[in-house]
Amino acid sequence: MELQLGLVLPTPNMLKGFDLNNHGLDQLKEMGGLAAWNKAAGCFADKDCVKSKRSFEQAFGNFTEECRTKPLLLWSGQPNEEEDHKDQKKATFSTTDENDAEEDDQVVGWPPVKTWRKKIFQQQQQPRVGRAENNRVAENENGRSIYVKVKMEGVAITRKIDIKVYHSYQSLTNSLITMFTKDKKCNEDDYILTYQDKEGDWLIAGDIPWQNFVRSVQRMEIVKNWG
Amino acid sequence: MHKKMAFSFPDEVLEHVFSFIQSDKDRNAVSMVCKSWYEIERWCRRKVFVGNCYAVSPRMVIRRFPEFRSIELKGKPHFADFNLVPDGWGGYVFPWIAEMAGAYPWLEEIRLKRMVVTDESLELIAKSFKNFKVLVLSSCEGFSTDGLAAIAASCKNLKELDLRDCEVDDLSAHWLSHFPETYTSLVSLNISCLGSDEASFSALERLVRRCTNLKTLRLNRAVPLDKIANILRHAPQLVEFGTGTYTADVRPDVYSDLAGVLSSCKELKSLSGFWDVIPDYLPAIYPVCSKLTSLNLSYATIQSPDLIKLVSHCPNLQRLLVLDYIEDSGLEVLASSCKDLQELRVFPSDPFGAEPNVSLTEQGLVAVSLGCPKLQSVLYFCRRMSNEALVTIARSRPNFTRFRLCIIEPKTADYLTLEPLDVGFGAIVQYCKDLRRLSLSGLLTDRVFEYIGTYAKKLEMLSVAFAGDSDLGLHHVLSGCESLRKLEIRDCPFGDKALLANAAKLETMRSLWISSCAVSFAACKLLGQKMPRLNVEVIDERGPPDSRPENCPVDKLYIYRSIAGPRFDMPPFVWTMDEDSGLRLS
Repeated sequence: MELQLGLVLPTPNMLKGFDLNNHGLDQLKEMGGLAAWNKAAGCFADKDCVKSKRSFEQAFGNFTEECRTKPLLLWSGQPNEEEDHKDQKKATFSTTDENDAEEDDQVVGWPPVKTWRKKIFQQQQQPRVGRAENNRVAENENGRSIYVKVKMEGVAITRKIDIKVYHSYQSLTNSLITMFTKDKKCNEDDYILTYQDKEGDWLIAGDIPWQNFVRSVQRMEIVKNWG
Repeated sequence: MHKKMAFSFPDEVLEHVFSFIQSDKDRNAVSMVCKSWYEIERWCRRKVFVGNCYAVSPRMVIRRFPEFRSIELKGKPHFADFNLVPDGWGGYVFPWIAEMAGAYPWLEEIRLKRMVVTDESLELIAKSFKNFKVLVLSSCEGFSTDGLAAIAASCKNLKELDLRDCEVDDLSAHWLSHFPETYTSLVSLNISCLGSDEASFSALERLVRRCTNLKTLRLNRAVPLDKIANILRHAPQLVEFGTGTYTADVRPDVYSDLAGVLSSCKELKSLSGFWDVIPDYLPAIYPVCSKLTSLNLSYATIQSPDLIKLVSHCPNLQRLLVLDYIEDSGLEVLASSCKDLQELRVFPSDPFGAEPNVSLTEQGLVAVSLGCPKLQSVLYFCRRMSNEALVTIARSRPNFTRFRLCIIEPKTADYLTLEPLDVGFGAIVQYCKDLRRLSLSGLLTDRVFEYIGTYAKKLEMLSVAFAGDSDLGLHHVLSGCESLRKLEIRDCPFGDKALLANAAKLETMRSLWISSCAVSFAACKLLGQKMPRLNVEVIDERGPPDSRPENCPVDKLYIYRSIAGPRFDMPPFVWTMDEDSGLRLS
C-alpha cells in the first residue's frame, strides 16, 4: 500500500490565502509516515490488555511490513457485488429518469433524503397512469399538482413549474418573467409564451380560457418575438 | 467510609447542589468524583439519556438510577433514515417499557428516536405511568392510531405528544376523540406525520378549544386550509403552528378569515406545514412574519419569487428550512434580510433528476455564509461546488458547528478546476474550530481525511460517502479525531487495516457504521473476538457471511460499544461477532 509521506502543497491560484500552518504540516508528515503505523499497531492494546497486545502482534506479525507490500483489496476475485457496484454507479445515475419513482436504477439511500421526505416528494410527483409522453412531468389525480416543463430560448436550464399554482395567464407570466430574467436579461416584450397542446401542436398561450389551457398544456417555451 | 474533609456536606445539601446540574455530561462528571458523590448523584438523577439502546440494558439503567422521571432512547443507526438498515433490524422499545413499568409507576417522560414502537408498547405506557406527561417519538415506526388512542384515553396529565417523521399506520382519525372532554392539559401536539384523509376536525377543534395552555400545534396535511381559521381562532396563544395543506380555491372570504385569525396570534414564533402551497394565500401570513424565528417551508413547492417575498418579511428569522426552489437569488435576499439566521437547511426538490431543475449552486451558500454572522448550522443539497467557495465559506463563517454538504452526484469534482474538494473541506475543518458535525460529499481523496484528522478536534459526528482512496483515509480519522463519537461511512475503499489498527478507538465512540466498503469477514471476527466491550454486528442480506471466503468484504457492519453484551433480538440477516466466533484467518 502506498503511504503518503507528506502533503502536496496547493497551487497558489487554487486557494486565495489558504495555507496550512507549519505546525499542521509537520503533524501530517508524521501521521503519514511509518512511525504512525507502528504507533497504531501498538494502540490496539490499551493499558488493561497487555496480554492482548502480544497476541495481536503474534496474529498479525509484521503488521507494518504487510501494509506496504500487500495489495489494499483483500478479496481474491470472488464474485462480489460491491466491486461492480462502484463502477456502475456513474452509469446508473445518469440513466435515471426524473419521473422514476422507483429506486431500482438508483443508488440505495443516495442522495441522503429522508424516507419521509422522499414520500412527500413522490406523492407530489405521481406520474399519471397511461401517459407515455413525459413532457408533462407529473400530474396528481386529486388536482394537487401538475408539473410542466418550461424552456426559454437561450437559457440552459429547463424549469419545471406546478401549473396548478396559478389561476390566470397573468399570474403565470409574472412568475415566469421573474424566474427567467435572472438567467437572461431581457425585455419582456421581446418574448412570447408558447405551449404544446395534447395534439402536439405548438400554440401561442392566451387564446383559450385558462382552465382549458391548464388541462391541455404539455410543455411551454418562451421564444423571441419576431413578429 | 469516605474521608471526612473539612468541607464535607450532608447528603441533602449535595443533592440540592446537584439539582442545578442538568446536562448529562456534567452529571457523569459529578458521579466520578468519589463514591459518595456517585451514590448521591445516582439517586437524584431525574433525566437519563441512552444514545444507543443496545449499549446498556434496561435493568442496568434502572438499577443505577432508581428514581428517574425522564428517559431518552435512540435505536437505529442514522443511516436507517436513508433505507440502508433493512426492516426488522431491531431497536424495539417494548423491553424498556416492560422493565420500567414494573420498576416504578412515576415515569413522566419518554423520548424515542429511530425506534420500533408497537401499539402494545403504547398501551403499556398508558396503563403503567399515572403521571405520564411527555411522549416524543422521532422517526419511529411500528404503531397505529390505536396505540395513540390508548395514550389519549388514559394519560390524564399528558402535556406533550409529538410525532415527528414517524411512520404511523393510520387506521382511524377518530383516535383524537379519545381525549376525554375533561382533559385540558395539552401544551404541545405534533401530528404532522399522520396521513389519514378523514380527519376528525370537530374533535380537533374541541380539543384545541379546551386546552388553553396549548403552545405548539402542528397539523397534518389532511387538514384543509379553510378549517385552519376555525382551529386557530381558539388558540391565539400559540407559539408554534404547523398548517395542513395550504391550498384551496382562491376565495376572498377564506383568505380574509385566515389572515385575520393569524394576525391575532401575537405570540407566534414558528410556522411549518405548507403542503401544496398556492402563492395566493401566502400573504395571509405576512402580519406574523416579523416575529417569526423559525420557518419550515421544506414541503412548500413554491418558486423563488414567492419565497423571496416571504423571506424578506422575516427579519428575525433564526431557522429556515426550504426547498432549493429558493435558488441562489433567494439565498442572496435571505443573506441581506435575515441577519439573525443561525440554521439553514436547503432540500432538493428533484433529488433523482439527472439535470438541475433550479438555479441553486454554491453561490447561494457563499452568500448566506458571508451575509449571516450568526450562521452555525447548515444542511445544503446542491449540484456543484468549488474549493474556492468552500474556502470563502470557511474563512467568513468560522463559527460553524454543523456543516453538512451534499453534492448530489457522487464524486463530483470542483467544477472550476476539476480537482478534488479536499482543500475546500480542509479549510472548513481548519477554520471552524468548534465544528461538531460534518458531512462530506463530492470528489475526495485521502488528503481530506488528513485535514480532518489534523484539525477537527471537536468533531463528534462524521458522515462519509464515496470518498477516499485507501485505508489511510480511515486511519487519519480514527487516530486524529479526539472527540469522535459517531462515524458513518458508505461506499469507500476502507478496509481491515485501519479498522484493526484503531480498534481501541472504537471503545471511545458510540458507534461506527461502515457499509459497501472493503472490510472482510475475517477482520470482523477478529475484532469481535478481541474487543469484548464492542458489539460487532455484520448485516448481510445475501446470506451467512461464513458461506463466503473469509476475506470477502461484508455488506454492512455496525460496531458499537456496549456493557450489555451481544443482543438477542437480531433478525436472521444480522450476525454478531463475539468471543466465540473463533479466529480463523485464511
